[in-house]
Amino acid sequence: MSDALASLGRFLPELLLMGALAVVIVADLATQAWSLARSRNLLVGLTLAGLGAAFVASLGEPGGGSLFASMIADDGLLGVLRPLFALTAIFTLLFSLRAKELDGARMGEMVALLLTVTAALMWMAGSVNLVMIYLSLETVSVASYIMVGYRSSDRLSNEASLKYILFGAVSTGVMLFGLSLLYGLTGTLDLYGVRAALAAEDAGPALILVLLLVAGGIGFKIAAVPFHFWCPDVYTGASTPVTAFLSVGPKAAGFAVLIRFFYSGIAQPGADGTFAAVGGVDWQGLIIVLAVVTMTLGNVAALLQTNMKRLLAYSSIAHAGTILIGAAALSSEGIGAIVTYLVIYLFMNLGAFLVVILVHRVTGTFELEGYAGFWKRSPLLTVAMGIFLFSLMGIPPFAGFFAKLYVFAAAVEAELGWLAVVGVLNSAVAAFYYIKVLRIMAVDPGDGELPALRFSRLDGALLLALVTPNVVGILFGGALEQISEIAQRLLDLA
Amino acid sequence: MTAAQVVFYGACLVMLGSALYVVLGRNLVHCAFALVATLVGVAAFYVFLGADFLAGAQVLIYVGGILTLLLFGVMLTNRIYDLKISTGAVQVFPGAVAAGLVFAVLVWIIRSVDWNAMDTGAPGPTSEPLGKLLIGDYLLPFEIASVLLLIALMGAAMLVRRRTRP
Repeated sequence: MSDALASLGRFLPELLLMGALAVVIVADLATQAWSLARSRNLLVGLTLAGLGAAFVASLGEPGGGSLFASMIADDGLLGVLRPLFALTAIFTLLFSLRAKELDGARMGEMVALLLTVTAALMWMAGSVNLVMIYLSLETVSVASYIMVGYRSSDRLSNEASLKYILFGAVSTGVMLFGLSLLYGLTGTLDLYGVRAALAAEDAGPALILVLLLVAGGIGFKIAAVPFHFWCPDVYTGASTPVTAFLSVGPKAAGFAVLIRFFYSGIAQPGADGTFAAVGGVDWQGLIIVLAVVTMTLGNVAALLQTNMKRLLAYSSIAHAGTILIGAAALSSEGIGAIVTYLVIYLFMNLGAFLVVILVHRVTGTFELEGYAGFWKRSPLLTVAMGIFLFSLMGIPPFAGFFAKLYVFAAAVEAELGWLAVVGVLNSAVAAFYYIKVLRIMAVDPGDGELPALRFSRLDGALLLALVTPNVVGILFGGALEQISEIAQRLLDLA
Repeated sequence: MTAAQVVFYGACLVMLGSALYVVLGRNLVHCAFALVATLVGVAAFYVFLGADFLAGAQVLIYVGGILTLLLFGVMLTNRIYDLKISTGAVQVFPGAVAAGLVFAVLVWIIRSVDWNAMDTGAPGPTSEPLGKLLIGDYLLPFEIASVLLLIALMGAAMLVRRRTRP
């Protein structure tokens, strides 16, 4: 009990989010009689305050050690990802104010879901216990299903939500079965206990089955091939702010679980920052196969898309594959590279989705041909999209280049040079579809004379906030190094 | 064969048979009732494993709560008896092969592994240690489960609500 009380102080971001959740639920009920706009302003304001407080509380050096009787690791990985989740939620909330799909929608449930899912992502990223991993993953999933189906009068949204639930239920069920087998093998739910048990005795073929089943659950969350089938439909059916959130938040948390499970649970840290698999199963090959298949299929499928949201869905699948290269490196640098990538990915991918939202506001379409002639309507928006897309491509000097550089460097360091080459080749393929979007925006003539675009002040601020990190990434190499260095400090309870 | 074995295999038969009916049956109401038998069979399994609390919870929550709701849902749905549900008709062969393969692999794994089984002697009541764990070591998962239930409740209410507000 005293352990729980002592843990509360280092659990402040999550507690703030839960407090804000209670407040917005009551506020939503208390303002039923208000006009929609007025209650919306109040709820968004309260939620922003809660998310902002959680963001501030999550900054600073992680405490180290574990919380709540070894449920949560308060280490560098959680320390970096907590603010990332809070920031993603803040952007999502602001996006939802500007998304045409959510005009006139009630916000009470949306903000409650957003607060819950943000807290659950933090739990997910910190989990070092099999029960916690499952429970936090399930909380994220359930909240995501509801967010995807938020526009309950919209057929596409319903269909996407249903598909998501069906795929999600199967994947978490499969993962849970794997975890139960792992518990049977090792007799403990604690990840470090699992490691100790596996290090003491090889588990044989049963561990291979466990890894395949768990990879199914995690692969679903990060949208890795072959667990990606839900991704394009869900991204298309959900309202765009929700899509943007799903493409960044749960993906990052999924990678955190992957790092925890594989690096803390079934690998042993060596002396020079490398990890070695325990339990008699060399799982590096599994990750490599997932990475190659995910990158390649994501990029090739993205080439064929004519819908912007589907294109970004396949692009996010391809990025998951690239990040998996870092996970295959089996080294601390690999972990650092993954987290750095996730941080940069937040800015470039949310940026691209912001442009999609702003374009949809004026054209009402997500089809690529709707982007024709945007250079004439708004050079600013076209340039911003250019920066986001070049960053996603990994072209220097934009931040995305460094993201890829770190991942590839970690792979080369781990003597996986050929994997890095596959990654570079995939980036070249990716350039085709990103440039296609830019060509349509900048070169293709639009339909006749269209009025120039006007931005609200919020649009300008959001664009600025997202463009800046992508452009000046080069100046903050030191900060990136620091993020990477902090994230590498995994809790190690031997 | 001892009496316990007879009961055990009886429970297995009931569970498997009714589960098969749930999957293959064409009448939604009958399927829902078959599911009752499956879940009671699972409760019997828990009894055999000495998990008294889990068995009780299984009966109370799944059979008493969730299934009753499910049956209400099925019965209150208009013209449910005329509904033709399409199960079992598509891809029988690939499905059977895949299921058979999974089954074979699982059986092989389960038989080949030296499981970390605990011999706890005669089963005693588990509710007290469970309760202590839930407010001790597993306090955080316990609390998170309540957040999960809250959000699921809100989501369910939201998704089915009529749009009344202007």
